[in-house]
Amino acid sequence: MERVDRIIPAEDGSIFLESVFGERRVIKARIVEMELVRHRILLEETPEAVVTQRIQELWLEPATDHGHFHEGEEVILRIFKGYNMKPGEGLSGDGLEAFAVADGVSRAVPVQEHQGSMEINLGQEADGLLQVYVREQGEHELYGKVVLEIGHHHHHGLQALGLPLEIVPAGYSHARLGENYEFQVLAAGEPVAGLEVKATYAGTHHREHPHRLRTDDNGRARIFLTARGNYLFSVTHNNVTSTFTLVKSF
Amino acid sequence: MCKDMSPLEKAIQFHGHVCPGLLMGVRVAEFAMHRLGVSADVNEELLAVVETDSCGVDAIQAILGCTFGKGNLIFKDYGKNVYTIASRENGQAIRVAQKFRNSRTPQSQRYRELVCKGPLTEAEAAEKEELIALLFEQLMSTPFEELFDWKEIDFEFPPKAGIFNTIQCTRCGEGVIDIKATETARGPVCPGCLAENGGR
Repeated sequence: MERVDRIIPAEDGSIFLESVFGERRVIKARIVEMELVRHRILLEETPEAVVTQRIQELWLEPATDHGHFHEGEEVILRIFKGYNMKPGEGLSGDGLEAFAVADGVSRAVPVQEHQGSMEINLGQEADGLLQVYVREQGEHELYGKVVLEIGHHHHHGLQALGLPLEIVPAGYSHARLGENYEFQVLAAGEPVAGLEVKATYAGTHHREHPHRLRTDDNGRARIFLTARGNYLFSVTHNNVTSTFTLVKSF
Repeated sequence: MCKDMSPLEKAIQFHGHVCPGLLMGVRVAEFAMHRLGVSADVNEELLAVVETDSCGVDAIQAILGCTFGKGNLIFKDYGKNVYTIASRENGQAIRVAQKFRNSRTPQSQRYRELVCKGPLTEAEAAEKEELIALLFEQLMSTPFEELFDWKEIDFEFPPKAGIFNTIQCTRCGEGVIDIKATETARGPVCPGCLAENGGR
């Protein structure tokens, strides 16, 4: 765990850790050694189970198995709340808002429950690129965004939506397995340097996000895509956690 | 799938999973297409002679279209990661051989151990996932000449795959193409029956 800000031992032998990014973890461990001048604290995990409090993530996944929708097809998105692309329990529609943005024009769209999960049904959409995001307001705000392709071969640039914290593809194109994928992190429209971005993908066996990236001076980061299916990028900054679902056709 | 797949995606879909062997075959196939100035084969314009039956051959089939069923994939069971790709159209051929390495990297060695292990724990599955991601990026980004030796060669093109008559085996009654049958005292016999009866 990086940039740990607080370490609080508890009487039951666990230790509470919190990073400057707001990530929290509780582990069964003991402090072995502290080297404060070297900013180093060595912990030894005890054999009991790790209990982790994680910042929840909100994300969207399109209900299609090939990465896009065709014109005339019903555009459906499922909303998930959980961690590392593993849905948790109990996402309700309370406090959940959704918006669809096309050609810079934003409209609110209804969130509905369907067969035990939350979803957005946009009906049929016109050919082109559509950005959809969800928001759950609270002490810690959550955002989840996805870019949808209706039809084929839409390669024009995407505008940022101006969310408090947002991951924006660096030039929209079809993301392919075995290629580099670049994106930028914006906070209130401005690039954020030095921010950790967590990345994961559908079906990972990792308990934590398999990739930890860091934005450069221009708020950009890049990842080499090695997994089939969709990727989820997640970033936390100033009490906001924002995700971006990268939809791949393979 | 309604969108074109990349060569790599085609290879992965055909093979069923990502592995270092497949990726090496992808590198060979893509290099051959570039070097020979060809695209995927339609009707035996391209020919591949492969000296291995390892994962990489699936990439040759999926990307180059040199396939077992089309007759333009010739298999020599030498156990060597050597591929000869030839183009009838321009008369050119290249021979590509994977460089021999005395030792594996620790990541490659560990990946191999996990592949051979059988059922994995969750932690081992995550470790294997991480290793293949690392190897994937390494193998796709390493300069080609660091992985393979290659040269242009003179190549004698065999005839294109033939179409033959089917006759009936006099032992089992099943159909067999005439050039594979052996004439015996009782009539044509298929190779399977011939082997079962001591070559008679």
